[in-house]
Amino acid sequence: MTDFALIPEQFTLVEFDAARVLELAHDAAAAVGFPDDVDVSIEVDEVLPAPLNGSQVDVRGDRVELWFTGGAFEDTHRGRILDEELTRTALGASLLRAKDRLSGAFADAPVDAELPERQRAIWDVYTDGRLARLGFAVKEPRRRYVYRLECGFNDVSDAEYAQCWNAEALTWADVKSIDERLVAADPRERPKRTPVRRESLRQT
Amino acid sequence: MSDPFKPRPAFAPWDRRELPGLFDVEESARRVGTYKWIEMRLFEALGGWVATVPELDVKMILGRHCYHHAWHAELFDKRLPELREMNTERLCAPANDAMAEFVEALREPEAPEHTIEKLVGVYRVLAPRKIAAYTFHMNATSKITDAPTERSLEFILQDELNDWREGEMLLQSLIDTPDELERAMRRQQELEAIVLRAGGITGPGTIGVTPEIEGAGV
Amino acid sequence: MRKQLPPEMLARDARFVRTSIMDQIMDPRNQKIAERNTGSAKLEPGRPAAGDRARNLMHGIFTGEIQALEGAGRTTFDFDETEAPFALKLDMARQCWDEARHVEISIKLGDWMGTEIGEFSEATFLYEAACAPDPVLRLCGVNRALEGLAIDVFNTMKEFGDVSGDPVLEFCEDWMLADEVTHVKMGSDWLRRLTADDPERRERALEFQKTVDKLFSLGGFRGETDDNPIHLARKLRQMAGFTTTEIDEIADLAAQAQADAQAAVEAAGSA
Repeated sequence: MTDFALIPEQFTLVEFDAARVLELAHDAAAAVGFPDDVDVSIEVDEVLPAPLNGSQVDVRGDRVELWFTGGAFEDTHRGRILDEELTRTALGASLLRAKDRLSGAFADAPVDAELPERQRAIWDVYTDGRLARLGFAVKEPRRRYVYRLECGFNDVSDAEYAQCWNAEALTWADVKSIDERLVAADPRERPKRTPVRRESLRQT
Repeated sequence: MSDPFKPRPAFAPWDRRELPGLFDVEESARRVGTYKWIEMRLFEALGGWVATVPELDVKMILGRHCYHHAWHAELFDKRLPELREMNTERLCAPANDAMAEFVEALREPEAPEHTIEKLVGVYRVLAPRKIAAYTFHMNATSKITDAPTERSLEFILQDELNDWREGEMLLQSLIDTPDELERAMRRQQELEAIVLRAGGITGPGTIGVTPEIEGAGV
Repeated sequence: MRKQLPPEMLARDARFVRTSIMDQIMDPRNQKIAERNTGSAKLEPGRPAAGDRARNLMHGIFTGEIQALEGAGRTTFDFDETEAPFALKLDMARQCWDEARHVEISIKLGDWMGTEIGEFSEATFLYEAACAPDPVLRLCGVNRALEGLAIDVFNTMKEFGDVSGDPVLEFCEDWMLADEVTHVKMGSDWLRRLTADDPERRERALEFQKTVDKLFSLGGFRGETDDNPIHLARKLRQMAGFTTTEIDEIADLAAQAQADAQAAVEAAGSA
């Protein structure tokens, strides 16, 4: 069984039940087929509320580090309260991306902190499509909109979206070639992006 | 090309309008005044109810229909001075006490659970009554002397028929159970009983006939 | 049906969840996040979590439009013709239709942006401005303050749609903006007409508007600095009939509201 460590061990600014978060992590890990022999740390930055939703996955040797904004787990109706379904899906998505990295198929991918937003958006679609087929509660229309914001509101972008959503075995090379096709089809000026990242939003 | 100076009949052969009508200026003005009054009371009720109905589709449709009836009231208001009624407020009144009572009863439901009662009053009682009254006016008045009223009624009837259909479809989609059907029918009967006593929205003779009902025209 | 319907009686289906704006302002995380280096708060496609922030704001617009519809509707009903002239009631009925259309547009935009009806909580502070017992105060609260805020929000969203290349968002916001400019003009016009012989009443109405404008600045949500997600749309407000002095006053009120909120959060943190 995967060993999960939660940071912080108890929450003070939000009313998240730490034990319940760990239970949901175990459940999500089993559902996505996460390897039993990899230790995982889950860091939740409870200062960052919804809709400032973000996550990061890092593989360091045989250990996986997951980072989330508190907003990624937060009930959209009641601030500071844990939404269990949302939390299970957010954990499932990060564990699936960690599994991608551990598998070697994404070995050449930059670390999450340096991952370009467009490539991250493609990977997220690939992740959510698989999660949905595994029975996780995924808001597909939300994913589509966030993807379109990054990758463009055009037919090429939509066609690539459908392929990514339905894919079962993409590699980092696939993501890069999709990215190239999207760039070629996107007439927009590229604004300077400030993604939700642990580094950019950390306490100064 | 035909000679443009050759005399032609003043009325085209397909124009079969006749001069006489059932209403004199005073009667047309009286009716238009009651129409304005009922349209006003209706758009106020729809506007007030928007906040009290939980069903989102009903909420939006009431908001839209509220304006339709306000526009009808505006058209009637503009017509009154043309019918020698310079004080447009004087004739903007219920046809009789029973009509005032009817409007009071129509606008009474408030609770969020009473959407069926609200809609039945508007779309199964008042809307058919208005459509009947406006249709009678169009058919009975002189199509030449009272043409401006007829033209307004034509636009208004188009709205009324569309809104009636939409309201009826809302009701059909809301009435799911025998209990809800019973509520709708009971409500319709209560309100119809009052409007029957009133003799229609302009009083007895609204659609040309005066039913022999005890207490009619009170 | 009673006259004057209180905010707690606004009818909603089971998808909607109500919240208090004070809960959001007094959230203990606010002070902590203010200490972070999060950059400009303005809603722009390049900002962190721009998609989710835009989706959240779109839902806020949707519930705001419902309340604007309800507020205009209640004004047609709550007053007789001695309090609210026939022509004013007609304008309010027209506004009902416009707001109903905005609700329709917002729902379609929500679908487009992947937002479900009721996905986020609803605060009723917008409708509260429509509960004033004097129709002139209502017009100032709703048509000048609330619809003025709508101009600021829609303009920000239109720019968001433009920069992100989202043709649907930009198209819809542009149409809604046109309506809101009309509604503000309507409010300014009726304020003048109804208070032409009553300067004290006009003063009371304008004071009420200031209170509402400060409230609608939501402790820093609206303003003119990088700390404010929504910026005052000065040009469009001028088109709607606001004078430069009036817009400057709103900017000052927004800055005050932000300072007050920060002080309240700091006080709560040190208590």
